[in-house]
Amino acid sequence: MLTVMRIMALALWRDRGALLLAFGLPPLMFFVFAEVFSGAGDEDFTLRVAILDEHGSARSALMVETVSALDGIAIVEGAVRDSDDLEARVRAGDADAALWLRGDPALIDPEKAPVVIVGDGSRALAAAVLAGRVQRVLAESFPAVAIERALVTVESLAGPLGDAQRARMDAALATLRQRDGQARTDGDDASWLEQRLLGAGRGNDPGVSYYAGAVAILFLLFSAFQGAISLIDERSSGIHDRLMAGPGGIGVVVVGKGLFLTAQGLIQAALIFALASTLYGLDWWAQFGAWLVTALLAATIAAWGGLLLASVCTSRAQAQTASAFVVLLLSAVGGSMMPRFLMPGWLRELGWLTPNAWVIESWQDQFWRGLPVADLAPAWGVLFAAAAGLVIATMLIARHRMLSP
Amino acid sequence: MESVPLARPVVLLAADVAFSFADRLVLDAVSLAIERGEIVALLGPNGAGKSTLIRCICGRLAPAAGQVAIDGRDPRRDRAARARLGLVPQRIGVYEHLTVAENLAAFGRLSGVDRARLDEAVQATLARCALEAVANQRAATLSGGWQRRLNIACAIVHQPALLVLDEPTVGIDPPACAAIEQLLLALAADGVAILMTSHDLAQLERIAGRVAFLADGRIVEDGEPAALLDRHFADRVECRVRLSSDAPSAASVLQHAGLDVDAGDPLLWAGLLTRARADTLAHELSSVTELAELRIRRPGLDALWRAHYSEAPSIAESAAGEPC
Repeated sequence: MLTVMRIMALALWRDRGALLLAFGLPPLMFFVFAEVFSGAGDEDFTLRVAILDEHGSARSALMVETVSALDGIAIVEGAVRDSDDLEARVRAGDADAALWLRGDPALIDPEKAPVVIVGDGSRALAAAVLAGRVQRVLAESFPAVAIERALVTVESLAGPLGDAQRARMDAALATLRQRDGQARTDGDDASWLEQRLLGAGRGNDPGVSYYAGAVAILFLLFSAFQGAISLIDERSSGIHDRLMAGPGGIGVVVVGKGLFLTAQGLIQAALIFALASTLYGLDWWAQFGAWLVTALLAATIAAWGGLLLASVCTSRAQAQTASAFVVLLLSAVGGSMMPRFLMPGWLRELGWLTPNAWVIESWQDQFWRGLPVADLAPAWGVLFAAAAGLVIATMLIARHRMLSP
Repeated sequence: MESVPLARPVVLLAADVAFSFADRLVLDAVSLAIERGEIVALLGPNGAGKSTLIRCICGRLAPAAGQVAIDGRDPRRDRAARARLGLVPQRIGVYEHLTVAENLAAFGRLSGVDRARLDEAVQATLARCALEAVANQRAATLSGGWQRRLNIACAIVHQPALLVLDEPTVGIDPPACAAIEQLLLALAADGVAILMTSHDLAQLERIAGRVAFLADGRIVEDGEPAALLDRHFADRVECRVRLSSDAPSAASVLQHAGLDVDAGDPLLWAGLLTRARADTLAHELSSVTELAELRIRRPGLDALWRAHYSEAPSIAESAAGEPC
C-alpha cells in the first residue's frame, strides 16, 4: 500500500503540470474568489461612482465630500453635465452606479426624493451597495433624517407614539434639525432616497443576457481546449507523420481542426442563446447579426487558443492540465464565474486581458445596452486582433514543431 | 540477339543529401535511387539516420545539401510530389474511432483523391488489401495484423508512385506478416516503388530487390541481397554446432575447424567456413555422440548486418523488429 502511495506521489511530483493543478490552482482560485467576496463588504471592494450635485448647497457638497471619501468608492473622472449624462455613464458601464443629488440631502420630500441612486439593471447589486453606503452617511451626517425615517417604520409596526412620547421625540428632532439646519417633513426611505435602475435597451433580462454570454464563452473555451488535444494524440500516433507527408502538410491538419472547433463553438453558443431566447425571452433574433459576429470571434479565439496550447504541450496529460488551468483562470478573472464589477479594481482591469471579458461585454452591449453596431466595433476589433494573433502564433509554432527533426 | 532490359523510370532520387542537427551530421551525402516496381530496404542500427532520411524524402525536413525528387519534383516544395507519395508510419497511423472504409475515405481525401473517385478508390483498396470483410468495423476493434494491413491500405488509397514503409510488420504473427509481404510484392509488381525499413532481415531477404546499409549517416553498401552476400561471403557458409555436454575432443575439432565458442554458452559454437570445410566438419562430427545440433546454411542479411555493424541488432531493435 505504501509502495502504491509512493508511486502516486512520485508521479505527481514529476508531473509539474499536475502538481500545479493539484496545489497551485486551488489556492489561486480561492484567492480570486476571496478577493471578490471578501471585498464586497469592506474597503477592498471598489465601486466606480459618478456623482451629479445639482443642488449645489453646502450640505450637498458635504454629502459629496463624505461619499467621495468613503473607502471602496472611486469617483469616475470627468464632470457630469446633467442627469442624462449621468445615466449614459452608468448605462455604458463607465460607472457601476451613480449618486444624483437633485435636492437638499437634509430634506425629506415625499414628492421628489432629494437623493437618487442610479444603477444599471445588469449591475443592480452595485446600486444596492451604493444606496447602503449613502444611507450610512445619512445616519452619521444627518441623524434627524435617519431617525425620522426609522420612526415611520416603528409606527407602522407598533402603532403611533403616545402624546408624551411624541412630544419628547419632536423636541429631540427639533434639536437635531437645528444643529443640521434641516426643516421637518414627514417621510420614509423613499421620501429621501430613490433608487432608479436603468432598464435594458432592448427589454432583455440583464441576468439572462449576462450569464448566457458568460457560460457560453466558458464552455467554448473548455470544449475547444479539450478538442484541440487531438492534435497531440495524432502527433503521438502515426497519423501526423502520414498527414505531414501528404499534399496538404501541416496547414491542412491545423486549419481543418481550427475550422471544426470554431464551428463547434458557434453551435454551442447558439444552443445557449436559443435556450435563453426560448425560456427567458432574450430577444436573440433581433440582434442575430451582431451576436453572430461576436460568437464567431469568440469561437475562433477558443479554437485557436486551444490549438496553440496543444502545439506547445508535449503530451496529452500536460495539455489537459494546462488547459484546465488556463480556462479556469481566464473564466474566473474574465467574469464568467461572477460579474467583474464585484471584483477589486486591479482584478477588474486584469479582466480586460481575457477574451471572456470582451465577449461578455460585447454581448451585454447588444442585448442589454442595445448599443448600435458602431459602438460594438471596438470590442470586435480587440477580439479580431486576438483571434488573428492566435491563428498566426499557432500556425508558426505547429509548423516549427512538425518540421523539427 | 541478346535482349537488353529496358531501364525502369526512377521514382525516387536522393542525391548527396546532407542534414545536420545540433552540430551533428545525421546524413552525409546520401544518394539513393529507386525505380518503378523496385523494393529497396534501408538498413541500419538506431541512430544511423534512417528516420531522418525518410523525413527528407517525405518533405518534412529540408536537406542542408543535396536534393530529393519524387517523379522529378521536390516533395518539400511541390504538393504534387507529396501526392505521389504514400507513407506507412511505424506506429499505427489510423483514426481508431473510424471504420476501415471511413479511414480509407479520410486518408484518400487528405491525399488528394477527388470526391468523385473516392468511393471507387476505397473499394479498390479494400479489395487489394483483402479488407472487405472488416470494411465496416472500427479500426480500434481490429487485431494487430488487420491494423497493420489497414495502416498500409491508408497509404495506398491514392495510388502513390512511391510507398515508404517504416517497420510495416512490427509485432504481428507470421500469417499476417506473410500476407503483408504478398501485398507489398503485388504492389511492386504493379509498378509501385517501395522503400522500407525493417529489422526483420529474413523478411527483407525474401522481398527486397535491393538493400542499402546506412551507417553514421552514409550509405556504406547498396545492392541486390544475393550479390552482396556473394561479394561478402563467396562460398562460405554459416556453421552452428551445439553439444549436449562438455566434450573436450569435440571442442578440439570445432576449434581446429575455425569455429568460435559462444561467450555465454560453452556448448554452442559458430562461425563462417568454406563449403568444403563445412562438409568435412560435418563428416568429422558424425561420430561425436555429444553432438546435439549441426546447422549449415548460406549466410543471410543477418550475417551481412554483423559484418557492417560488428554486432547483432541491439536487444531493443530485436524486440521491435521481431521476425515473422
